[in-house]
Amino acid sequence: MGLSAGTTEMRAVSRPKALADLMVLDTPAEQAFDDLVFVAAKACGVPIALITLLDADRQWFKARYGLDVQETEIEHSVCRIEIDRAEMLEIADLTADRRTDRNPLVTGARHFRAYAGAPLVLRSGAVVGRLCVIDTAPRPEGLSELERSMLRALARLASENLELRRIAKVSERQTELQVALVEIGEIIRNSGDAGQMALATAAVVGRVLTADRAGLGLVDDAVEVLDVERDWTAPGVLSVAGRHALDEYHGLQAPLSSGDPLVVFDSLADERTLPNVALAMRNGVRALVDVPVRDPGRTTALFFVHSARPRYWLAEEIAFLRSVADRLEAGVARHRSEEQQRIVNGEIAHRLKNTLTMVQAIASQTLRSATDRESVYAFERRLMALSVAHDALLQNSWAQADLASIATNAIEAIGFMDRVSMNGPPVALGAQAALSFSLIVHELLTNACKYGALKGDSGKVSLTWEIKSDGDDAGLMIKWRERGGPLVIPPARRGFGSKLISIGLVGTGGVDIRYDPEGFEADLRAPVRHLAKG
Amino acid sequence: MIIRPVILVVEDEPIVRLFASDIIEEAGFEVLQAADATDAISTLEERSDVRVVFTDVDMPGGMDGIMLAICIRERWPDIQVIITSGRPWPQETKLPKNMVFFPKPYRQDRVLETVRKMAA
Repeated sequence: MGLSAGTTEMRAVSRPKALADLMVLDTPAEQAFDDLVFVAAKACGVPIALITLLDADRQWFKARYGLDVQETEIEHSVCRIEIDRAEMLEIADLTADRRTDRNPLVTGARHFRAYAGAPLVLRSGAVVGRLCVIDTAPRPEGLSELERSMLRALARLASENLELRRIAKVSERQTELQVALVEIGEIIRNSGDAGQMALATAAVVGRVLTADRAGLGLVDDAVEVLDVERDWTAPGVLSVAGRHALDEYHGLQAPLSSGDPLVVFDSLADERTLPNVALAMRNGVRALVDVPVRDPGRTTALFFVHSARPRYWLAEEIAFLRSVADRLEAGVARHRSEEQQRIVNGEIAHRLKNTLTMVQAIASQTLRSATDRESVYAFERRLMALSVAHDALLQNSWAQADLASIATNAIEAIGFMDRVSMNGPPVALGAQAALSFSLIVHELLTNACKYGALKGDSGKVSLTWEIKSDGDDAGLMIKWRERGGPLVIPPARRGFGSKLISIGLVGTGGVDIRYDPEGFEADLRAPVRHLAKG
Repeated sequence: MIIRPVILVVEDEPIVRLFASDIIEEAGFEVLQAADATDAISTLEERSDVRVVFTDVDMPGGMDGIMLAICIRERWPDIQVIITSGRPWPQETKLPKNMVFFPKPYRQDRVLETVRKMAA
């Protein structure tokens, strides 16, 4: 007795789980199952035949012949009687059996009188329901031996169909989860910040798992609080964004330290969530998966998925969520190090600017006696050209800067943006080339203001660049063209500015200067492979 | 005697403070100096003739240049303020009305031009 009670209990637990794994509840009618109940009804000469699946709180019909309801309360189920014996159940007169004589399906208008049901047994041994035939007139003689064998055979076919259907569904599901994982990988790679990354990932997970809520919470160093910046919720579901004290979540202690996910099918029936059941109900969490996001050795965040109804999470879904957490770990780490890098860069920039200001102050004091104030200003402007080149480099952690933004910064510092037109493809300059180019643009612009196209009101400068040929010997060619200024006269002597220009982009020359009477022209050339130097 | 407009230079780095003070003085203004925001506020409480405050942002003590500027806007609404910093102006903060920001290093001719306009 004790043993059989234990077995019964085990089957009772495994049936809803097995049913969930079948992914068949609440799905539309399918011809294969409809055919089976039609054949069963005709084979046994009865008006009603059903494929009944026994869920926790209801019986649901995957196929029905001669009955107009899709499901009934579990208490009204005849199929559930002695279900765990996994044998044929026959009741020749339902009105005369004490297990069914008060059943409304028998006493009421549906007038059930005779019943026979063969169990639906899966390969795992789980009994998920019955294929049954029902007569509305009493059948004291019951089924014939032939009818009984046909009913058993049809039930085996129905079970087999449910299994095959499951295999097809799981493979379909795995494909869906795989596609979602690819999508999440893209999100994590392309996200601008950690909050946006977490929210977009949660939205994909929530959608593919048809969950009610999903999100990422960051765990502090002391493992005391969980901070949820924003979570994804299904329409009408409340957010749990905010700060949560982890010691309020009893069931989380083990997952937080071990890194294994906390998987709860029903928070009302799980000893790990029972201590927090009031909290769980308030947040509408009937089933959940919490997956720790691990930095080696430590839980840094928690990815959670909530369902407002009990839910048997599939093994494939848990594996999927583990993969999501792994990918998020990489993403969170990347954003954290980028944030630190950004702070360090900002600090370096600040110190650099302060140092340049000191240099400016010292130079100004040193040159106080210089009668020519203009030389102080010229020095100051060259310092500015260096400073603005650093601004462009800062945007990419000093690794590189875009040629166009270097030129723009240098020109804006003097203020002739409206008279200089720029055109060329994106070109990344390393720190050395960026600083040189900024100084060169500054000198060219200064000369244009003093003697060239920008001296009057009508002249213009065109600054264009292109990459010539490909591969190792690809070269950058920058063209500075002045037009519309006063007649150009070559200078008698070369100033420091001209010398600075002639050093070139990478310190090895490659500069052609022409004093064309129409307008000053300069060509700057450099091999592309030299431009990236730091 | 010609009365020169009074400019208060607030900067914790002595060399930079000296430099800023010199160029403003040479441009014909009377210059007062303060090494931090607290120092600047005591000066403003003593002197009622300051027209323009030229202040750095990052300075020791609890109060930075931005807080100083906001304080001046409240207590001495007639005083003009120029702010300078080695950091870019914080994106999330709006520059208070009638204030000008110069990133460091600044061009002295541009700063002087602004001081002249404000003191006029």
